[in-house]
Amino acid sequence: MAILELNQVKKSFGTGHKKVEALKETNFQANKGELVAVIGPSGSGKSTFLTIAGGLQTPSSGDIIINNQNLTALNEKKRSKIRLKEIGFILQSSNLIPFLTVDMQMKLLDKVKKGNMTKEELEQLYEDLGIGDLRSKYPVDLSGGERQRAAIAKALYSNPSIILADEPTASLDSDRAYEVMELLKSETKNKNTTTIVVTHDIRLIGYCDKVYNMTDGVLTLEKEKQAVE
Amino acid sequence: MFLAWNEIKKNKLRFTLITGVLMLVSYLVFFLSGLATGLESLNRESVDKWEATAIILTEESDKSLPQSSMTLDELNGVDAKESAVIGQINAIAANGDQKNNVSIFGIEKDEFIMPNVTEGKEFSNTNEVIASDSLKEDGFKLGDNLQLSSTEERLTIVGFTDEARFNGAPVLYGDLSTFHRVKYGEAAELNADQINGIVVRTDGLSSITQNDALEVSEIETFIRNLPGYTEQNLTLNFMIYFLFAISSVIVAIFLYVLTVQKISMFGVMKAQGISNRYLSQSVIAQTFILAAIGVTVGFVLTLISGAFLPSAVPVSFDLATMILYGLILIIVAILGAVFSVLTIVKIDPLKAIGG
Repeated sequence: MAILELNQVKKSFGTGHKKVEALKETNFQANKGELVAVIGPSGSGKSTFLTIAGGLQTPSSGDIIINNQNLTALNEKKRSKIRLKEIGFILQSSNLIPFLTVDMQMKLLDKVKKGNMTKEELEQLYEDLGIGDLRSKYPVDLSGGERQRAAIAKALYSNPSIILADEPTASLDSDRAYEVMELLKSETKNKNTTTIVVTHDIRLIGYCDKVYNMTDGVLTLEKEKQAVE
Repeated sequence: MFLAWNEIKKNKLRFTLITGVLMLVSYLVFFLSGLATGLESLNRESVDKWEATAIILTEESDKSLPQSSMTLDELNGVDAKESAVIGQINAIAANGDQKNNVSIFGIEKDEFIMPNVTEGKEFSNTNEVIASDSLKEDGFKLGDNLQLSSTEERLTIVGFTDEARFNGAPVLYGDLSTFHRVKYGEAAELNADQINGIVVRTDGLSSITQNDALEVSEIETFIRNLPGYTEQNLTLNFMIYFLFAISSVIVAIFLYVLTVQKISMFGVMKAQGISNRYLSQSVIAQTFILAAIGVTVGFVLTLISGAFLPSAVPVSFDLATMILYGLILIIVAILGAVFSVLTIVKIDPLKAIGG
């Protein structure tokens, strides 16, 4: 069942001869329980695709449908509510609040949203990510990799329907990167969520059910699970 | 409150500085308000103590008590529940060691403006006076024989009363004959019916007197026309109002700078779906915490400083006024946070996270 759909979505910037089509007509579908990778070189339109899919910017044309709700027809306030309820972002730049400890980052989500993980689930998540002993630390006291793992914990804590990850393993060593992908895969399967990972690291595509390639704003399906394996 | 308080806890120095500035501004506001109240009292406390409705003066005196002159006969045409005659003259009084400006009030002992005696006794003979107890701080005491600047008459302090200052000078209350002797000297007998005004307590002002040569002024109007009173109050109140505006601007600048520094953080939170409302409430809550702490510390410091001030400084703290000004300071600080709220609302999460 499709949880995220992009139907004939285009995104262009500027007008006239200065017009740039960052995303050419795109049709995309991600189902529950799927881990999807979008790979491609820098400037190919991967981030544009991810931010449009996450409702952070509106397309020039076309529809974005999340959980049967058409985001294109909604104002920013309503899109914001859907982001809070449905989407967990793992951003390239850390999405941690500098004056909150790792534990407090989760408490903040408790303040603004219900239906987050239980204490036991959070403990397990900390353990899986190897950050159990970092819970009382502030982001400034964490290494780049630790910050990224805490950011992943924050994205998963709210039990989102969709996880949108922009280069989630960028600051991690290979072993930790594989562990994170394993974790994202198990979260996706166990909780029947959908994870879309934008990355240029082709070593990670082995974990994914579908792999799309983005080149010059054109999104094409490269491989499905059977083909990858 | 969660975000607001945790940010303050994590960045103690930064927020201590902002609170410190607010504390200093509120300290200044409270002190100025104390000074304004003190100077007001210096001018009006004896009049306030009368608890009168109005005062009747001659029309040509332009509401000035010393410039008004009438006879006791005018009392017959006054229609009021209670009335009291008053004569007034300013002088310099000396007890041998000390000299002081005084305002001498000539009154009838059985009328309602007769002051209470806090020490000593009431005057019973001519040239006996009840003095303002503020004179005690200047070295005057019971039994002092006062030499006056404008007359050979000498007055004896037989009692003290509290809250008895008029137009900046301590008051000496005596009977009308004392006042006539001080003012007219040897011609006192000839001017025995002269007074400056009539103080009344009544319900309506319109029918008090039909005499066109007399003017009925409400007590508040009379006080506002005391020399320098309105100008002095306006000056101090303007300073207080400017300080309100200044504190609002200071908070606005501080918070705006802090907000600009945190644009990407707010952008990330907005990208995650945290609403403008929650973030704005957080900024408002933070401002409230900072302002409340700053104002409270300023309030306590003001009271501590006030306890150590020499009596010559005319400061009097009115708690109700201070609490009102404290609340105003907190409100204007919160108004100052509005700029930051507007900035947060305008943040585009996409730009803020570098999309």
